[in-house]
Amino acid sequence: MLEVTKYTRDVLLEIAKKKKIYVEGNFLKILKAPADDPEFQKYLELCKEKDSSARRKRLEVTKQVQEQNKKLEEANVINASLVLELQNRMEEVEAAKAEAETLRDKAMEDLDTLQKRTQFELINLIVRVALWVILGVGLLTTILYIYVLSANLDSTIIETTWSNLFGILLTNSFSIVGTIMGVKYATDKSN
Amino acid sequence: MIDTLMLIDDENLFHLVFEDACSLLDIALSIEALDSSDEADKKFKKWFPDDPNHERPQCVFVDLNIIGSSFDGIEMIRKINHEYGNGCVIGIISSSSDIQEIEKAKAVGAQFWIIKSDDIEPRLEEFKKDYDGYAKKKAPFKIYN
Repeated sequence: MLEVTKYTRDVLLEIAKKKKIYVEGNFLKILKAPADDPEFQKYLELCKEKDSSARRKRLEVTKQVQEQNKKLEEANVINASLVLELQNRMEEVEAAKAEAETLRDKAMEDLDTLQKRTQFELINLIVRVALWVILGVGLLTTILYIYVLSANLDSTIIETTWSNLFGILLTNSFSIVGTIMGVKYATDKSN
Repeated sequence: MIDTLMLIDDENLFHLVFEDACSLLDIALSIEALDSSDEADKKFKKWFPDDPNHERPQCVFVDLNIIGSSFDGIEMIRKINHEYGNGCVIGIISSSSDIQEIEKAKAVGAQFWIIKSDDIEPRLEEFKKDYDGYAKKKAPFKIYN
């Protein structure tokens, strides 16, 4: 323990009285007041009391800050996990979107194929019907013409009719074939 | 009362808590707080073997996981006890209570394990009562929780 000189003691007491400045810190723990100096003993007690009070306050504040820091760190961990989860969800959404787009494209493609197939089937049907009609009319007129010739009947009207009808039928059949070729060409080009 | 005490802990806020708690409980007159085991290692290396200026602390508290250091608290204790001549009361102060780590610390010569918490004062007060036993190497290893 350390005993201060009379001069130091007086100066310390004077400073405390006039300027309210007290010795503080662990240095206080090694200062000792003489047994016959109650004034300095009281002074040292006051210094220790003030020092302890200040330390206690600081300790409480530090603990509060420590507690807040701990909570912030915990909140940061939670935030980080939430951000990670959000990123995962975003990735899942992106993947789902890409999959939906692929399915949509495939569906569009299927629809297009279906439309084309239907279109071709329709054309095919028209062509068949048209050809059967052409062949039927042609055949019927020819048979009628042959019958008229073989029966020595008047063939003037049927001859003209057969000739006209055949010309019309040939023209129409070429027109149908031409239309089909045109549609096919246009379809292929649009693809 | 312990004259010189060293705390090795990466958490600077805990330095303040520890210093104030030790001062209020009259545990130590002087506390040197370091935030890395590398820094402590340099100091102990310098003081070994003779420590002419008597700077070596009487008691050392080491954190278990010292972030930013080359080695942890257990390795620090091993170095002090086995490479730098021992000569001080030494133990761990950590928020961990992992039995395996406690056993490791005991094996390298730690004398105590104080569990860090918001209410550190009662543990330090209990440690203060046992300190003489540690200084005389008579007290057994103890966990303060």
